[in-house]
This record gives sequence, structure tokens and C-alpha cells, in this order.
Amino acid sequence: MINATKKWIFLKISSFVLVPLMLWFLLNLVLFYDKSYDEVVLFFISQPTKFLFSLFIIFAYFYSSLSISEVFEDYIESEKLKNVANRLLYSFAIIIPFLTIIVIFNLNI
Amino acid sequence: MKDNNPLSPHIQIYNWHISSLVSICHRITGIVNITIITLICFWVALLLLGNSNYELIQNFFGTFFGKFIIIGTVWSFSFQILSEIRHLFWDLGLGFELKTSNITGLLVIFGSFILTILIFILGRSLVL
Repeated sequence: MINATKKWIFLKISSFVLVPLMLWFLLNLVLFYDKSYDEVVLFFISQPTKFLFSLFIIFAYFYSSLSISEVFEDYIESEKLKNVANRLLYSFAIIIPFLTIIVIFNLNI
Repeated sequence: MKDNNPLSPHIQIYNWHISSLVSICHRITGIVNITIITLICFWVALLLLGNSNYELIQNFFGTFFGKFIIIGTVWSFSFQILSEIRHLFWDLGLGFELKTSNITGLLVIFGSFILTILIFILGRSLVL
């Protein structure tokens, strides 16, 4: 299987998983965006929020990095620049969810 | 070795169609959404700093601009959800006919506004 096919399959699997996760996240976002500190922390430290939010950001960054790398493929001509952009993109897609999950698992009231 | 990979031509040479509008919006909302998710990750990180710092964010979301950001966020994600479902149907080989493609494109555009309203109604009253 060539890399482009693998990338397409990963993109489709992640988008399929992301649709219900995005709906879950939006329904909760409109609920808690104006709530107090204690209520928001309680939301993030409770289950299944902790698990679902972690899953949501992992899949969101995974999907976005694959999608944005396609945009780079379409619009950046220089191979060198494209490589740098992709490396930065993949680094962010690993570091930000990783740090956020650590924060969620260390939150307490 | 020279890279012969073709690049996308400039968008201004095409006439505007529903499909091109949805496609461009899909890419723009995708980038907007990951920016929003990154800001939400920072928001979560700020929770570690305690209640006094959080009040700044809470006050911001109480303003007109803060509410506009939340509504915009919900619309942007709603658009992405519907557009992604359209793409998944295409992957199954469904909806490629010009007429169907135009109808589903319109469904994505108008549906995103309806879904935004539904999410606000459901989110503010029913969930958790």
C-alpha cells in the first residue's frame, strides 16, 4: 500500500470518529463556556469527559495535521519549505494534545 | 531532481459554484477549528493557575464579542461536521451527480446554521 493511500485511510477513519466527538464537544461547550471555575474544572475532571475530551483532541490534531499537510502539498512548491512546515505541524500535533492531557489528569478542585 | 508535482491553480480562474464555495469553506473552517481547539487547550491549561486567572476568561465570554466567538465556533464546527459527512458519502461513491452535489452543498451551508441553533437549544437545556 502506498503512503498516499495509507494517509487517505487514516484521514477517513479519523474524520468518522471525529464527527460524534465534535457533536459531543459542541453540546458541552455551549453548556460550560460561561460557567464558574469550579464548574468547569469539575466538568474536565469527571468521567467520561476526561476520556472523551482526550480522545477528541488526539483525533482532532491527528486529522488536522493530515488535512493541513494536504494543503501544504497543494500550495507549497519548495520541497524544503514543505518539509519544515510538515515537521512543525506534526510536532504541534503531538506536543499540544500530550500537554493538555497531562493538565487534565492533574486538575483538581 | 526537479519536483514535477502539480500545484493547485489559483482559485480566481474558476467560476464560483456551490461545490467550490463549500470546498473552500471546508478548508478554512478546518484551519479555524484547529486554531480554536489549540486555544481551548490553552484555556484548559489556564485552569491550573486557579480561580483568579479564570475570572478574566469568564468575563470575556460574558461580553458580546465573547458570545460572538462561541457562536462562530459552534457554526464553524457544525459546517465541518456536515461537510465531513458529505465527504464520507462521496467516499462510498454516493452523491457525485451534479444536481445531488449542488443539493448536498446547499444542505451543508444552510444545515450548518440550523445545526448551530439546535446545538445551542440542546446544549443549554438538556446535556449534562
